[in-house]
Amino acid sequence: MSQTIKSDFSKRIAEQFKPKYLLAHLVLLGVGLVLLYPLIFMVLAGFFTKTEFMTTVLGLLPIPKAPTWDNYLTLFNGSADAAIRKYFLNSTLRTVYATFWALLTALLAGYVFARLQFRGKNTLFLALLGTQMIPATIALIPTYLQFARWPFAGGNDIFTGGTGILDTWWVYLIGGPSINIMGAFLVKQSIEKLPYELDEAAKMDGAGTLRIIFRILLPLQMPIMAFISITTALATWNDFITPFFYTSSDSLQTLPAAITRLSSAAASPGAVPNWPLIITLSLGTTLPALLLFFFFQKYIVQGLANTGIKG
Amino acid sequence: MISNDGKTVDAEMQRLPIAGNLGKSRWKRSKIGRKDGLIAAIILTPMILWWLVLSGFPTLFGFVLGFFEWIGISDSPKFVWFDNYVRFFQDPLYYQALWRSMWMGGLVTSITLVAGFGASLLMNLPLFGKGVYRSIWYIPAVTSTVATTQIFNILLDTNNGVINNVLVSLGKEPIVWQYSVFWGVFWIVVYSVWKGVGGAALIWLAGLQSVDTALYEAADIDGAGRWGKLMNVTLPGLKPIATYIVITSLIGAIQIYEQVLFMTNGGPYGQTEVLVFRIYRDAFWDFNLGMAGASSLIMAVIVFTATVFYYRWSTESDRRTTSNRNRRRGGKRA
Repeated sequence: MSQTIKSDFSKRIAEQFKPKYLLAHLVLLGVGLVLLYPLIFMVLAGFFTKTEFMTTVLGLLPIPKAPTWDNYLTLFNGSADAAIRKYFLNSTLRTVYATFWALLTALLAGYVFARLQFRGKNTLFLALLGTQMIPATIALIPTYLQFARWPFAGGNDIFTGGTGILDTWWVYLIGGPSINIMGAFLVKQSIEKLPYELDEAAKMDGAGTLRIIFRILLPLQMPIMAFISITTALATWNDFITPFFYTSSDSLQTLPAAITRLSSAAASPGAVPNWPLIITLSLGTTLPALLLFFFFQKYIVQGLANTGIKG
Repeated sequence: MISNDGKTVDAEMQRLPIAGNLGKSRWKRSKIGRKDGLIAAIILTPMILWWLVLSGFPTLFGFVLGFFEWIGISDSPKFVWFDNYVRFFQDPLYYQALWRSMWMGGLVTSITLVAGFGASLLMNLPLFGKGVYRSIWYIPAVTSTVATTQIFNILLDTNNGVINNVLVSLGKEPIVWQYSVFWGVFWIVVYSVWKGVGGAALIWLAGLQSVDTALYEAADIDGAGRWGKLMNVTLPGLKPIATYIVITSLIGAIQIYEQVLFMTNGGPYGQTEVLVFRIYRDAFWDFNLGMAGASSLIMAVIVFTATVFYYRWSTESDRRTTSNRNRRRGGKRA
């Protein structure tokens, strides 16, 4: 038995050196490195001091003469720029918060649409799913107006008078409890694959709805929950729209929003952007996302495959 | 569910409304059905109401704005019927932006999907480290658009950008990328493909692996070559996933605007403005809320039509394959 496995293995190794496979390796690795290049560049540029970065003629792989960890350390101890640590913290808190609610609403709503019978269920579900096709840009201005006129907040009487919840932490928190429609869709698909006997057996043992959801079904939804949390976390972490448009105080900014403010789009025409600071912030935005990806990549691949095949 | 009349629990289960036979059963009027409705209402009402307040209402409000002339938030809106829509199709600022969204979206989609398909064919070979390749290719997709477009901008800097430095060291003239429409579009497309190609490859790969291996064996027996297998087994087997990925990629690509905002900012002279970027500009810089609303509605109609077509298409092909399968099964039994 082990003999055949061993010979299989050496056969596979030998196979790798066939011209066809060598070529495949070459293409996948070569193009892969090209795809990684902007990130490699960013990591290397992170070792430059500000002055050296501005004065060196940058080659394809910029290697600093006097490498420094300062840019990386700034992200954590905030010694050079206390604001950066604040951005980092804001990004993290709002990501955790949004992910928590996305999981909770997706699980509960997914269960309801998969298992419970009530009039108009399919219509309601299709209507919710249909709204996902509408470009989100349309709601930006109305949301701004809505936040500005939020009743009894920020000096408002019922609708007017103050700035509402604009430029407060509420712009990050308020959307939490609303339903996560794509997540609910995925959970529904996944629960429908499980036999109904599971629920029945639990019911006979006297379990209530919540117990069925959290004790019986949730442990079997872990791959899909991981997929929902990674996609939600990445989308929230990378989102610059909410902080950029609905807040203005420095203490409320997140990492991507801070980059947006420094970028040429926001800067006055002709001004030279502060590239080293932008690189530091970009590192702070990208590295945690990559870390998250490496921890969850199995579920991403699986989840993409599932959503893809479902159509 | 213990039955006294000797029926098995299984038979009892048949009557349960497992997905598929809902709606018409007597279940709905039974006590348990009513209890289901109550639990559903308790769970769903708060989250859907909250969603209506925070997403449903603003979206509807945005569509309504399309029928008003409202420039600057402090002005009062004026109802102008379809004036904004008429302007959309008369003002080159808008219909050209729509046209650019379509052809740039088409270009990005076709390059991403073709390159992704090629990559997935290679990733499907029994290579060592194919998991590593999959990760490497997918990494750009998880990065923040704001952060990585800035890195591209640094690489494309006129004075000390890496790409210009390389051009100079090869003895060529440096290029001011920002002054050229061609290069603006070129880099927007390159960035979009860079970000999307790994995801496309993964979805194609999932499709490749879902093709029935028995069909390949049958093709082998019939003496089909590699090309014949690709044309007659792989591609037809990929049809469902192909419709999915083409439509969703197109829907995503015609709504591209972040890379435009951060890489060319619509320039030079607005020649790289796409429709969603135009909406964004109207909304946040020009405060032309009416035009932003009208343009959004037009974009929504386009996306919605594409989606409906996709569903029609995929359910139709589903029906066809199921009926074929049934026929085959019937044949076997006979």
